[in-house]
Amino acid sequence: MQFTALYTPKLLAMKLTAILLLGACLTTSARTASQTITLKASRQPLEKVLQDITRQTGYEFLYHPGDVKQASPVTIEVSNLQLTQALDLIFRDQPLRYEISNRTIVVSPKVPVNQPLVTTGADLAPLVNIDVTITVLNTDGQPLEGATIINKQTSKAIGITGLQGRTVLKAIDPNVILEVSFTGYMSQEIKINNRGSLIVRLTVSTSELDEVQIGAYSKITKRFQTGNVTTVKGEDIAKQPVGNPLLALEGQVAGLFVTQNTGVAGGGVTVRIEGQNSIRNGNDPLYVIDGVPYSSQLVSTGMGGGILGNSGAANNGQTSGGVGSPLSYINPSDIDRIEVLKDADATAIYGSLAANGAILITTKRGKSGLTKIDINVQQGWEQVAHKLDMMNTQQYLSMRREAFRNDNLAIPSIVTTPTSTDYDINGLWDSTRNTDWQKVLIGNTGQYSNVNLGISGGNSLVQFNIGGTYHKENSVFPSDFSDQKLGAHFSVNSQSANKKFNMQLTGNYLADNNQLPTTDLTNVAIFTPPDAPPLYNTDGTVNWAPRPSGNASFSNPVALYLQTYQSKTNNLLCNSILSYHLLPELEVRSSFGYTHMQTNIIQELPFNSQRPENQASVGSIGQYAYNTAETWIIEPQISYKKNIKLGRLDVLIGATINQQGYNGQQFTGQGYVSNLVLGDINSAATVTKAGAYYYLYKYNAAFGRINFIRSDKYVFDFTLRQDVSSRFGPSAQKHNFGSGAIGWIFSQEKFVKNSKFLSFGKIRISYGTTGSDQVGDYSFLNLYAAPNGIGVPYQGAGGLAPRGLSNPYIAWEENKKLSTGLNLGFLKDRILLDINYSINSCSNQLLPLMLPAITGFGSINENFPATVQNTSLEFVLNTSNIKGKSFDWSTNVNLTMPRNKLVSFPNLSLASAAYSSTLVIGQPVSIIKAIHFLGVNPATGLYMAADIHGNPTFTPNGVTDKTVLINTLPTFYGGFGNKFTYKGFQLDLFFQFVKQIGYFNLFAPNSYYAGQFSSVASNQMTGVANSHWQKPGDIASFERYTTSFSIPPAFPPGDAGYADASYIRLKNLSFSYTLPAKWISGLHMENFRVYIQAQNLFTITKYKGLDPENQGVNSLPPLRVVTLGLQIGL
Amino acid sequence: MKLNNKFPSATVHFTPYSGIWVRSFILILAISVNGCKKMATVPPPITSISGDNVYQTDATAISVLTGLYSIMASTSNSGGSNGTGSVSFLCGLSADELTLFSGVSGTLASTAYYKNALVGNTTTSTGGEIWNKSYVFIYTCNDAISRISNSTALTPAVKQQLLGEAKFMRAFFYFYLTNLYGNVPLAISNDYTINSTLPRSSSTQVYQQIIADLKDAQNLLSVNYLDASLLKVTTEKVRPTKWAATALLARVYLYTNDPVDAETQASTIINNAAYSLATLNSVFKLNSSEAIWQLQPVVAGHNTEDGWTFILPSGGPNSSTNPVYLTSNILGAFEAADQRKVIGNWINSVTVTGTTYYYPFKYKSATLNASVSEYQMVLRLAEQYLIRAEASAQGGSRGISGAIADLNVIRSRAGLGATTATDKASLLTAIAHERQTELFTEWGDRWFDTKRTGTVDAVMNVAAIGKGITWNSYQQLYPIPLADIQKDPNLTQNTGY
Repeated sequence: MQFTALYTPKLLAMKLTAILLLGACLTTSARTASQTITLKASRQPLEKVLQDITRQTGYEFLYHPGDVKQASPVTIEVSNLQLTQALDLIFRDQPLRYEISNRTIVVSPKVPVNQPLVTTGADLAPLVNIDVTITVLNTDGQPLEGATIINKQTSKAIGITGLQGRTVLKAIDPNVILEVSFTGYMSQEIKINNRGSLIVRLTVSTSELDEVQIGAYSKITKRFQTGNVTTVKGEDIAKQPVGNPLLALEGQVAGLFVTQNTGVAGGGVTVRIEGQNSIRNGNDPLYVIDGVPYSSQLVSTGMGGGILGNSGAANNGQTSGGVGSPLSYINPSDIDRIEVLKDADATAIYGSLAANGAILITTKRGKSGLTKIDINVQQGWEQVAHKLDMMNTQQYLSMRREAFRNDNLAIPSIVTTPTSTDYDINGLWDSTRNTDWQKVLIGNTGQYSNVNLGISGGNSLVQFNIGGTYHKENSVFPSDFSDQKLGAHFSVNSQSANKKFNMQLTGNYLADNNQLPTTDLTNVAIFTPPDAPPLYNTDGTVNWAPRPSGNASFSNPVALYLQTYQSKTNNLLCNSILSYHLLPELEVRSSFGYTHMQTNIIQELPFNSQRPENQASVGSIGQYAYNTAETWIIEPQISYKKNIKLGRLDVLIGATINQQGYNGQQFTGQGYVSNLVLGDINSAATVTKAGAYYYLYKYNAAFGRINFIRSDKYVFDFTLRQDVSSRFGPSAQKHNFGSGAIGWIFSQEKFVKNSKFLSFGKIRISYGTTGSDQVGDYSFLNLYAAPNGIGVPYQGAGGLAPRGLSNPYIAWEENKKLSTGLNLGFLKDRILLDINYSINSCSNQLLPLMLPAITGFGSINENFPATVQNTSLEFVLNTSNIKGKSFDWSTNVNLTMPRNKLVSFPNLSLASAAYSSTLVIGQPVSIIKAIHFLGVNPATGLYMAADIHGNPTFTPNGVTDKTVLINTLPTFYGGFGNKFTYKGFQLDLFFQFVKQIGYFNLFAPNSYYAGQFSSVASNQMTGVANSHWQKPGDIASFERYTTSFSIPPAFPPGDAGYADASYIRLKNLSFSYTLPAKWISGLHMENFRVYIQAQNLFTITKYKGLDPENQGVNSLPPLRVVTLGLQIGL
Repeated sequence: MKLNNKFPSATVHFTPYSGIWVRSFILILAISVNGCKKMATVPPPITSISGDNVYQTDATAISVLTGLYSIMASTSNSGGSNGTGSVSFLCGLSADELTLFSGVSGTLASTAYYKNALVGNTTTSTGGEIWNKSYVFIYTCNDAISRISNSTALTPAVKQQLLGEAKFMRAFFYFYLTNLYGNVPLAISNDYTINSTLPRSSSTQVYQQIIADLKDAQNLLSVNYLDASLLKVTTEKVRPTKWAATALLARVYLYTNDPVDAETQASTIINNAAYSLATLNSVFKLNSSEAIWQLQPVVAGHNTEDGWTFILPSGGPNSSTNPVYLTSNILGAFEAADQRKVIGNWINSVTVTGTTYYYPFKYKSATLNASVSEYQMVLRLAEQYLIRAEASAQGGSRGISGAIADLNVIRSRAGLGATTATDKASLLTAIAHERQTELFTEWGDRWFDTKRTGTVDAVMNVAAIGKGITWNSYQQLYPIPLADIQKDPNLTQNTGY
């Protein structure tokens, strides 16, 4: 059967085993080699002997091939001799010398004896110039190719290290002082002192400016970065107890606005980089994990799972967006770093994929050195941080009674009127009960557990990193729901001995088992009347509080727990990069990426979760979905890096061949013998197909980049890309994108170079275009497909139905981005200030041309000559306030001031009335048009609104009277962090802040107005009772209570539903203590750290709803999480 | 860009390098991309067929019409034929046939239909449910008519039948649209550029199109019921035939005051030996002798969706699946001896805590996974007798006596004696009454009858008391959806809304 083929746990288990086995093998091979050697050689070439030593010890030799070829053959026989002793023997009669540096052995010519020995002294001039061989290594003993050697006297570059970090300076003044510099390392001055051979060890620069940032097919330090790129490091992600790495970015990055849409584990997260560019289509950034594009949206399963919330608007052409966030299937603790790419310079080389910016996730890599084991155990608790202040039974019933009085109605009685549905007051329910439903239904404390195991190590040729994770989050709902993840990660880097061939292999695997209720109970928890009956009968069964008829009077929320939604996802990401240096400057490489995500969903709707009166007719239902998403990508590239006299040139040419496929099927089963077998499709008496989905997306591109850095002063960066996407018809399939950027490091200019105050200064500007093909697959094709919901074929034959009106001419949305930046460093870079300003214009907006229903379908996609402009002013300040011997204090602040504006939309009012009701030229595209609310009429106690002329009315026109514009876009947002370290203690406090207007409707949070009643949910906030209209003449905020739906107002509260939703939140608190090394050295531990971490600890806000971030009352707010943890390094 | 000018030095330095490199890039890109274009072309998804191919084979072309009937019979069709979104349900609520359960939330559309309080001037408008669905079907018919006409690949017999079915269905949907909304836009093309700005055509023009389509359909459609291959005869009465077109045409002539033609068309059916009246409790059985056209249920485990909606469970009406029961109006309309109102025949009841709810019981199966014994009736013989009776009374060739004879055929099946009406006026009243009791909760017949006979205000003023509303005459037409008025500059709202 089809189902068994799709669901193959065996296969996945095999994959997992393979990954783990591979990891185990690598551990063995990378084990530290012994330091004694046994050699037997008779007139062997030196090179061969050295290779033998490498094999035995793992020590690497660095030498110039020419030098070694000239060496005499070696005859030696030693056994279990110390390495140094053996080397002494080997090199005794050679014209060469060796030097051990860390795990590298540098071999260089002995100083020729015939060279004049010159002593320093001015009186001995003129000196005889000599040839000097310089080898530049890092502190790990790795050679640094491309290090610049500058003659300090002349300030001229006189050499650049090549293969094996070596260069020979010909005929040089032996007394000259040299400066050796390499990007990312601290420059070092050396004196030759007449040595013919020098080894220079550079230590990594501590300046943030010299940290390498990973970009699109590139790496460059912040110093020479011409794009607007922000890095978030793995350590800052690890501090935050979150299940989705995106949540760790909240408030951390200027220009990046992240919204957690629900507190449910695995829930949706909306991510916007520098605003909303597309009016209707996808605005998601491109996610790239270890070089492989990753989906920004899960494909809709078409059933349930709504509790997970979406991740912003759908972008794959589906009628409804997928639920949850695909990034939930990436383990945050495997992440080494995240780069957020914002402007065209950083993203244009991704062409159409990154119109909305890009988020690059790099997972952890191994480092050469002793094998390290890292164990990290974390246990915590999570809960809803804030409840709404709802009426208690006394307040509630008094409101209800007053409503009946106001309407001149007698309070109904279930005895005299059995059909009365006012159960809360008609005597059916025990009106003396008082339950805080928020406490009962969303007030539980969930458990948060996380265990990580990491092993890493390697030598100079092979490095590895293996990690395993178990993560579990329980829900705050009062039932046994949980999200469990089991993950594995590995990364291997390998080089050939001559360093020409390089291989990198990365794999991430995560199995997620998310067990959820089908319904988010937040809404029910808030609005259920406080006198509603107990959830369970005394015998433990669900209490339906039956009416005299036997039908339920209570939509018992616990019945919803019986409806379960289990989503099992297996996510595999693999990437390998193979590269070969044809020439020292010329590298050919290709990356191969593959992702495979399989989701199996079982939704169980047992009959007893239905009201008793519906149980027979509805029956037990099992729903099954099987979805598979696969991506593969091949990206061959040629790169040419040459240090020429004028500067450093870096050229890249590459191509992308990418294919993404998705298919899914759904089935509904009915007629089960028992609710216990609802999870088994085979136990269903009838199985109905409930839909099939299939998407195939192909994408190819060719791209190129030139980066040129002149004199460490001017940086030029140009990119070009041509894209071909299957999402467009033949006439519009191809498109070119490109960008140009210039950076001027003016602090290298003489006039500031020696400033004590200003240590770094750069101005950068970039301009370029990117596009977006997030418009859904096949939308240009006129398609007929099988209609959904047909369980029994009509006349035994399949049907077809048109899927919509199609437009074969639809084309790309184009995004033009101008970005400027000023980067400053003060006081030896202890204060770093970045100011960025960008203007992004998105034109050729692809929108559904709204058509009347009489055309058959509501719309047809067309490119509109409409333009949306986003500007973003971003400030980032990093300061190292105190840098003492044992006490450090550093601060980081980021602030973004976004603006969004619909610049043009020709014939907005005429051509497309559908848009004129939501869009206003000159205003943000997210603007909300609302009725102006005038409060309560003192005479009648009814709500009034202003009509188009500003006159009060009880019956405003829902179209024409919307006179108020409400901008819900944040005015500014950002984060503010402080980090303190004192000896082994470290304290991090990170605040997130947002200034914005948000929706919270105190008047009718649940579409019922104050005092109006529905048998399902109608409780009101206590604030309503305090200020409602009671008698003519009252000046009140809330209208008179009523029992009737048909009494006005029949209009939404308009601008009164919006209020300040600004907030400052202690997003993260992390406090840790690392035990001093001497305490634990006896325990064979390298590291022992205990910590406490807290997320969303408190929020300062005027917002009256549950949470100003996800707003509304229908989904769980972001939870407060507090964890205790222990980290041990072995 | 303005800002560029601030960095003249940088630009100067750059220029000599850019030229060569950019040019060579473009060359390399151009070479590599030409191959890419072919690689980035995808075929239609395996779940779909490109519109150009659909009408190239018999099987796929037939599937479009089969698909249309499937959707009409499925629950996903929330406006039209089925369940709580059906014409029967919504018009029954609007008229005096159905009472809405008091527990139903006031925000639901069904409340607005019941209270005759449809809203046409706000974005949350109600009343467009049937409109929206019907025009999707009409687009499907228009697309089919246009593409089938142009297709040379289809078997001639199949092509003819499909064209007939598409024209018949287009007429069918326009019949309901014009009766529900009055003057409606007459989209008869698949070109959205034409359709999107259509004004409303007068009801007369719409009827002209309906009649033209039905006459074409009569000529095109098979006289036999066909299976899904359209090449074999079957006993399954679930595809339209020439007789379905004739039956609808008879009704249309009656509605357009053309008694002579109505009588002729109805006679064609009545005289067709293939059709005969069934006993009361077998009328709605699948392929009953009375059925002219039925819809096969397509929801797994269900018989008809009408049965599923109307038949009350033991707990009585509820707010979700079974929100309606019969009004006292309709219950009181039956004559004492009427077999149709005998409990267990066409009406059934459930008593819950002393309150008895009566519900339509024409369809008798609402048991999950029961074997399929009933099909959804669309056109049936009894209505043809009543059409002919009225047409004859209105001036048809068979005159008053013919009318009386036809009326008595229906009365007799219901266990009633011959009508006492003798003259035209009393006969028309008797026929109207008979239509009320024979065709209750079937396809909005009652709602349409009160409107076309001009009794709507009188009837609704009485019904308004039970509903607790005030009746306004304009409410006999549903409002045009506001969304369409906003999008189509030539579209106007019905008066009153």
